[in-house]
Amino acid sequence: MSLLLLASSLIAQTGRTGGGFWFPEPGSSVATEVDFVFNVITQICIFFFVLIVALMVIFCFKYRRKEHVADTGGATHNTILELTWTGIPIILVILIFFLGLQGYVRIITPPENSYEIEAMARQWSWTFTYPNGAQDFDSVLHVPVGVPVKINLRSDDVLHALFIPAFRVKMDAVPGKNTFIWFQAIQEGEYPLYCAEYCGTEHSQMVGKVIAYNAVEFEEVIEELNTWIDKVPDEKLHMAGRLLYNLCSACHTTDGKALIGPSFLETHNKFKDGGTRKLADGSSVKVDEQYLLKSILSPGDQIAASDSDKAYPRSMPPGLGRQLGDRKVLALIEFIKRLPELKDSDGKLISVKRSEIVEEAAEPQ
Amino acid sequence: MTTSDTSNPIPSQDPPQVDNYLTHSTGIMSWLGTLDHKRIGVMYLCSILTAFFFGGLFAMLVRAELMFPGKLFENPDTYNVMFTMHGVIMVFLVIIPSVPAALGNFVLPIMLGAKDVAFPRLNLFSYYLWVTGAVLAVSSVFFGGVDTGWTIYVPYSSSGSNMDGILPVTFAIFVLGFSSIFTGINFIVTIHRLRPPGMTWFRMPLFLWAIYATGILQVMATPVIGITVLLLAMERMFHIGIFDPAYGGDPVLFQHFFWFYSHPAVYIMILPAMGIISELISVHSHKHIFGYKFIAFSSVAIAIFSFIVWGHHMFVSSQSPLMNVIFSAITFSVAIPSAIKVFNWIATLYKGSISLNTPMLYALAFIVLFTISGLTGLHLGALATDIHLHDTYFVVAHFHYTMMGGSIIAMIGGLHHWWPKMTGKMYSEFWGRIAFTMVFIGFNLTFFTQFMLGSKGMPRRYQDYSGENWSLAQTELFAQYHWWSSIGAFLTGFGFILVAIYLLHSLFKGKRAPANPWGGRSLEWQCASPPPHDNFSKPPTVGDCYDYSVLEWDESEQGYRWRADVKHPGEE
Repeated sequence: MSLLLLASSLIAQTGRTGGGFWFPEPGSSVATEVDFVFNVITQICIFFFVLIVALMVIFCFKYRRKEHVADTGGATHNTILELTWTGIPIILVILIFFLGLQGYVRIITPPENSYEIEAMARQWSWTFTYPNGAQDFDSVLHVPVGVPVKINLRSDDVLHALFIPAFRVKMDAVPGKNTFIWFQAIQEGEYPLYCAEYCGTEHSQMVGKVIAYNAVEFEEVIEELNTWIDKVPDEKLHMAGRLLYNLCSACHTTDGKALIGPSFLETHNKFKDGGTRKLADGSSVKVDEQYLLKSILSPGDQIAASDSDKAYPRSMPPGLGRQLGDRKVLALIEFIKRLPELKDSDGKLISVKRSEIVEEAAEPQ
Repeated sequence: MTTSDTSNPIPSQDPPQVDNYLTHSTGIMSWLGTLDHKRIGVMYLCSILTAFFFGGLFAMLVRAELMFPGKLFENPDTYNVMFTMHGVIMVFLVIIPSVPAALGNFVLPIMLGAKDVAFPRLNLFSYYLWVTGAVLAVSSVFFGGVDTGWTIYVPYSSSGSNMDGILPVTFAIFVLGFSSIFTGINFIVTIHRLRPPGMTWFRMPLFLWAIYATGILQVMATPVIGITVLLLAMERMFHIGIFDPAYGGDPVLFQHFFWFYSHPAVYIMILPAMGIISELISVHSHKHIFGYKFIAFSSVAIAIFSFIVWGHHMFVSSQSPLMNVIFSAITFSVAIPSAIKVFNWIATLYKGSISLNTPMLYALAFIVLFTISGLTGLHLGALATDIHLHDTYFVVAHFHYTMMGGSIIAMIGGLHHWWPKMTGKMYSEFWGRIAFTMVFIGFNLTFFTQFMLGSKGMPRRYQDYSGENWSLAQTELFAQYHWWSSIGAFLTGFGFILVAIYLLHSLFKGKRAPANPWGGRSLEWQCASPPPHDNFSKPPTVGDCYDYSVLEWDESEQGYRWRADVKHPGEE
């Protein structure tokens, strides 16, 4: 009984504040509850840790060896005592289990009216698709504050996990399965977002951010996300391609080095010279716009081989290109065609901002 | 019967010319083909410590990479191979066999007063299976490495990874599994059949209870990992469509299979360690173990519970919420027997006569570190908090407190405890304590910071925590913790190197060890150091192995001997 009192007083002390020494600032409605459960458990842990270590140290000091006695006698057991320290932990772990269960039920139960966003995980980025069809490929998740948001998770290749520490939520994205997380952001701001399930080479760069806006701003952002490519004039389409290239950069370099796929520089050179590319099946194909289009939309049909006849792996997901929409695919083709224009004097890709290439006054396309 | 030459040893002042297991026969073949459990134990020990060195080297490289933001190794794959090799070596080659196969092999038959284990040839075969497994695991590096993490999750391991080292590693795990199963069978049968007169089940040293419970786990759980890795190999080679969703399989099924073994494997690793601690605490406190039956039964309880909690590794795997709730509830049951053991060890210290020599320091460190690992297990067992903490450094810290703070620390403690028995030499107590202090401080520095790192949100298995997608604030926050963690790791590494130096030094320059330097009562302390080839000429009769009142200090021997006025059990 006294132990339950102790536990409840600990709970009262802990209060319902989150963040602090252990956690990032709470950013979602469940965060404070998770922190509360964590803090209660931690208080119990500290109590027992101090008890055990203090007794150990006191005994080691008080009963330290002074002479060569072979045996000190003393009790060999005490059933009442042993049953006591069996019973007390049982009561405490039951308490902890229910605390954890309570929070968990909230974490896994999205409200009916949740705003749904589709998330596709692939090596090594997140693509988020909004109800209006807008997409962000750069692992940036836009959410409204104060609205429950449900993220439906899918994976295109291996296991990934969406983890937003500030929101205290995490779930695996499993190929062939549908999973979800939900949360309600409580404050505007930017929060880190991670892939938490090991997924290969660039796992530690499968990182992005969540941006929480007020409702009005959120609508604007989503609208902008949907239409910006249409506002890019044709002569700047290759610069839009530079933005979209982030989607390709894990596998295709622009400096001639072959990674998982052929370098875009090599592709560009072949295009410029009207050259051909060897394919894994032994044939070869002329590198023209038709070839580029086909390679983006159905990459599996024409697996390229390097000049030393080694086939590149068949690892580009077909969905990657198709999700882009015509104009973005066009932008990528322009990017490859006009690659040298997008490099500075050191041969590095220049950086492009979306605001620099979008023309607000442009006629609707 | 009065004392035979072994049961009441009062060795002469001269260096021992008597036959012991080390001098019994000579030549390399007398070792490689030996059936003597002591020699096999020593061979295991040397091999496992070599593997520990390499596993530790990979750990140091991992910590070097993470010490500062940015990339130390240009290619992320290099880092991924290193943390995978660290995990594979430490789990499968070091911790699982360390206590049972190395120390257990040496000590168990002597504790039973037996000449050897029940199946000496099987024992040698187990050792060579271990060697085969080790060669296969290391060969993976030459096949292009393996970068899947030790958990080899599909579909990354079946089709995602381009590295061809994965197949040799799966075969290594398969072969090592058989090594572990044979050791388990051997020890179970030995304990059943070869106990000496007077040793009832409840008079066995607690180390033997722990080894027995471990043996059950080895025999019952290990076949599952064998099947699983074979299926994985077939999935990778022939795409049979059991695990890989691209061929109609289920990746979560793999996780069930994997953890059905790998969770009990955690207890294969920690139970023998607990057995060592029960011995060390009692012997070095010169006091009867407190609550023998509770400790013995808690070992069995842990072994049973460990089979039904595997799902707590999968709370965010897409396993159904109901399963999560059930597994969370059962998981907490494991906390109870663990808590019982800790309280009983503390009670053993009460009114003892505690010598703080090196083995005891490791035993006390085990209690501290295991308490931390057990208590942080509560955060991970509770559903609401595990969702946040899963796959972060909090988990990394938790299992290193268990596996290293628990198993490895206990193993090193046991090594120091039985070193005089195994080698006949005493090591430097001074350097032992210095090295212990380095390891203890270094370990806590390394892994306690990782608890904070994890709860702040740092995911596991990241090569880098900076880059174009990272916010500067996050990078700076994580950098502080990682720096301290790496400093701690290097300190721990130097501590272990020091241990190796003074132990090796003792082989050549160490003082001759008495038969019973610590005042232990179990049978291994009643035969000479090092033990003769046959251990005991005649199975001794045993009494209460924690009743030290029959011993007295012998100044000339610098050890303990049987009191002249007390009869041996079984004597009239």
